[in-house]
Amino acid sequence: MQTTVIKPVLSVYTGLFLLFLYGPFVVLGILSFQTGPNGGPQFPIIEWSTYWYQHVFGLTPPSRIAPLPIYEGLARSLTLAFMTMIVSTVLGVMSAQAFRTKFKGSDAVFYLIVLGMMVPGVLVGLGLALVANIVGIDRTWWGTAFVLHVVYTFPFAFLVMLAIFNRFDSSVEEAAWSLGVSPIKTFRKVTFPLIFPGVLSAMLFAFTLSYDEFSRTLFASGRDLTLPLAIYGTFSIEIHPNIFAFGVLTTLFSFSLLAVYAVLMTASLRRAKRVAIQEDA
Amino acid sequence: MDHDLQLLNVGKVYDNGTPAVIDFNLDVKKGEFIAFLGPSGCGKTTTLRMIAGFEDITSGDILIRGRRINDMPPEKRPTSMIFQNYALFPHMSVRQNVGYGLDVKGMAKAERDTKVDRILDKLGLLDIADALTHKLSGGQRQRIALARGLVVEPDILLLDEPLGALDANLRKAIQAELKLLQRNLGITFVFVTHAQSEALTLSDRIVVMNQGRVEQISAPAELYTRPNTAFVAQFIGRNTIFDGTVLDENSEQVKVETPFGIFTGTPNKSPSAGRSAKIIIPSESLEIHPAGSVTRDQISAEYSGNVLPGVMERADVIGHLVQMSITLVGGSSVLLEGHVEKYRRDDLKPLSDVLISWKSKNATVISAG
Repeated sequence: MQTTVIKPVLSVYTGLFLLFLYGPFVVLGILSFQTGPNGGPQFPIIEWSTYWYQHVFGLTPPSRIAPLPIYEGLARSLTLAFMTMIVSTVLGVMSAQAFRTKFKGSDAVFYLIVLGMMVPGVLVGLGLALVANIVGIDRTWWGTAFVLHVVYTFPFAFLVMLAIFNRFDSSVEEAAWSLGVSPIKTFRKVTFPLIFPGVLSAMLFAFTLSYDEFSRTLFASGRDLTLPLAIYGTFSIEIHPNIFAFGVLTTLFSFSLLAVYAVLMTASLRRAKRVAIQEDA
Repeated sequence: MDHDLQLLNVGKVYDNGTPAVIDFNLDVKKGEFIAFLGPSGCGKTTTLRMIAGFEDITSGDILIRGRRINDMPPEKRPTSMIFQNYALFPHMSVRQNVGYGLDVKGMAKAERDTKVDRILDKLGLLDIADALTHKLSGGQRQRIALARGLVVEPDILLLDEPLGALDANLRKAIQAELKLLQRNLGITFVFVTHAQSEALTLSDRIVVMNQGRVEQISAPAELYTRPNTAFVAQFIGRNTIFDGTVLDENSEQVKVETPFGIFTGTPNKSPSAGRSAKIIIPSESLEIHPAGSVTRDQISAEYSGNVLPGVMERADVIGHLVQMSITLVGGSSVLLEGHVEKYRRDDLKPLSDVLISWKSKNATVISAG
């Protein structure tokens, strides 16, 4: 009786949820196949074409529509996201490791770290810009903005690793020590392989959060724009479907990142299973 | 010096001020099998972890083969620990698990492989040498843990409730294996358990602990027949205990006045006259007489006054044993077992009056102060 009511309600809810989650992307995807160079970013589709994709890669004959001024931004954003990912994950793993034993002032330190993801980005960005001005530091995407990206993403990596260590059985480390393995080697050869899935998650968080970070970067990055800022910049002139084509391409890039993550995550499990099956046979 | 392990006034106080281990003294000879026995929270595991180096020592000294190791990190100590949850490396095969301790020592591959194969063979693990560990049974994993701990040839093997996670049958089988292995290898074993039967079957000497203190260090048989303290008497075996006052003492026998009569026992730590004492009688030493067949005086004469009237509450035949529960004067009850041939009798049926008695040499008197 109950399920006959709840089930349809839940399916409608789920449908709406998916619609709002992926609707924008689907619309963007459809419009990216508008004809060019005269088709605009609106329905109806005059004619299906891959013109705007060719335009993104500079394969179309010159027209009144200029190439997107975002390629340097893309390179900067990828570099920045990669740097942020490495630094935040290393910091996250190390600080979570430190939190495995309670130390004096650990509560305060915990909240100080987590604060980095709680404070409004615009305020921090603006604040850092002011400080940089006062101190006389140039604002750059690889300097001031990088610092803010780490401050922002490090708490995520830290919390992921904290959860991983929470379920971690430290007796395997003690077992290694008692076999004569030094603590550093134990961390590398025993602890790290076991927490590696968590490390991957932390890396994914740090990368994606940094890659599309906007508000902090807006004030802190100086003259050279990152990708989100560059895209935002194009909106102020005129919007053509080439930005949609680019959007589809970057989303596919994100999916491929997720796929790499999934493959790495399951690889060890699958190997374990195979050995176990051989064992049963 | 032939001591493998010495604990000298070892104490441990946790950061919050709670004492975990108080003034622990122990000398362990090479090749001895020592069990730390006690209820949970008595400090036995903490002591083991102090020997392994996982816990700091607050006071006292720990010596291994005469060398003070208080400040030596765990990986430098000549000890190896076996954990209750096995603590195998889940990302390594059985062979890699066992060989890992030799790898980090920088042993040549050929020598390592020989050693690993030899210990795997000894523990019957060669067939599964290349499997990952998480699909294996508890018994197999415990054997892998043992192989991994033993292959590095420690001076002392520390075992923290290693059989606790196994089912009863398997536990018995591995107990026997463990004992045999220890005897063959001649390595000193320090074994923590809360199961008295395990400690009694396996060890050469047992350290009984309670609330951070050592209650008694004795061979199993002695622990059973000559408990030092009331705690040991209650924890080990099945004992009947009466409180009383020492009337009269000599080196052989002590008379204790209890609310139920004046009883005689053998002194353990000779308590002096006038002091309060406890007399401890193991169930196995109690004899039961049907009240109709003899008088109390007859028994009293034969057993130096060690006789008490009671009522048989229950007498259940279980296989070749009779399990009996007898209520004594004063309301305390004793549980005991006897062979059917001796105790399945009409005049020992439930609700019959009985007399119980014991020989003075079998009762232990300890001072209760």
